[in-house]
Amino acid sequence: MPPEIDMEAMNEKIQAIKKNAAELNRMADHFPAVVRNTARILSSTKMLEINVSDLVNLEVER
Amino acid sequence: MNEQTFWNPVLETLSHERLRALQFKKFKRLFRWAYEHSRFHRGLYDQSGMTPEDIRSFEDIQHVPKVEKSMMRDIQRKDPFPYGDALCVPLHEVTEFRQTSGTTGQPVYQPDTWTDWEWWAECWSYILWSQGYRPTDRVFLPFGYNVFVAFWAGHYACEKIGCEVVPGGVLDTQARILKIQELKATAMMATPTYILGMAATAREKMGIDPSELTIDKITCAGEPGAGIPSTKKRMEEAWGAKVYDHAGATEIGAWSYECENQPGGMHVNEALFLVEIEDVATGEIIDEPGKRGKMIITALDRSAQPCIRFDSKDIIEWDRRPCSCGRTFRLIKGGVVGRADDITKVKGVLLAPSAIEEVVRSIEGLGDEYEVVVDKRGDVDRITLKVEIIPGRQDMRSAIEAQLRDQLRLKTNLGYQLEFHEYETLPRYDVKAKRFKDLRNAH
Repeated sequence: MPPEIDMEAMNEKIQAIKKNAAELNRMADHFPAVVRNTARILSSTKMLEINVSDLVNLEVER
Repeated sequence: MNEQTFWNPVLETLSHERLRALQFKKFKRLFRWAYEHSRFHRGLYDQSGMTPEDIRSFEDIQHVPKVEKSMMRDIQRKDPFPYGDALCVPLHEVTEFRQTSGTTGQPVYQPDTWTDWEWWAECWSYILWSQGYRPTDRVFLPFGYNVFVAFWAGHYACEKIGCEVVPGGVLDTQARILKIQELKATAMMATPTYILGMAATAREKMGIDPSELTIDKITCAGEPGAGIPSTKKRMEEAWGAKVYDHAGATEIGAWSYECENQPGGMHVNEALFLVEIEDVATGEIIDEPGKRGKMIITALDRSAQPCIRFDSKDIIEWDRRPCSCGRTFRLIKGGVVGRADDITKVKGVLLAPSAIEEVVRSIEGLGDEYEVVVDKRGDVDRITLKVEIIPGRQDMRSAIEAQLRDQLRLKTNLGYQLEFHEYETLPRYDVKAKRFKDLRNAH
């Protein structure tokens, strides 16, 4: 792995995005523009998890 | 190594052991998801006595029942309409409908959520980045945007990468060529058949030499042509561009790709897919390079309609060599070399139609089109190969015929009845070509 890539730090930021987007999604019950746009953010966040978090979590489990 | 070589510099250079551990973790997660959310999958696994707790080691994956395409057709006759009971999410979460081309039977409908669609674009981003697509590219997409997945996800991946995308949807071939010329497009994606057809149209009907246009890379899909050396060479010479192969399927995703180094095969994206090669005769999983079998594939991150140990019928083999690009994702040698249901016995000899294409397109003076018809003369199989000689090369006919006979005998171990047709009289195709016709059971 290239030494300058800090996967754990990136994963922490990804989890923060996920938490914030999920909270925003929940608090906007009657606000479709917020609900649907946060749903898209969560889909993009899943791609970040595929690229980063899944591997970090694998290391933690080992 | 330039750090910009990789879309994901970590996953694409991971050791085989760590990739395997990642695949195992994802497989377990996916299996549990399908078991808990899909009536079809739970029924299939209950019948075989498998539960999520039974996946304890990587080797246990081999015992998970395979899914055949015919099962998918049965599934979609059930509720919820129109997908059936392999759907793992509420119907209102489905944002994408696509269907298979129906080349091998009734089309299969494929639901995807927006997250799945993001995943499709992610798969394609690995492909396009490895082939040199960058934000400076202007990419022309000459395909009919419709119910088939084709290059849809390529479009979205270009946007994700930051390329400028020019959708060439309903334009005809000549209008597409003019638009490429006008906009100075740098890349495009199409089937090999269409890439060759566009080049012929440009040259013969418009007086434009496609190699003088600005296209410098072409990504192919839908047919094996970009993995057949002689077809690839024809395309590269016609367009003055590098041509890359990729493989994907509606029910699976975009699972493999040729990188910029063109290693004579394709990388399997082993971070997102688990590819197993099954010995067709014994059913054993083949791990060693150099032995062909059919591909059993799992898309490790797709959720609405999971693809778990899908029997793709694609014939592949692992390559012994690592790729000089630095990716640790294994190579499949020569790409997808055929399909289990295409490879057929003729006169007792196994014949892959791609071997005939490799011969035809390696011979100078023959046109790009050909047709193979297998029928019976009495009780004996007969193969007829129809070809065209390009204008101005008729005087080479006897030399071409001799070369064709020799090469066919050498590459396929079979004798052929050869038919030479007038140029442009054999069928032309825009999308998936049907050049191989087996009429032995037609009557």
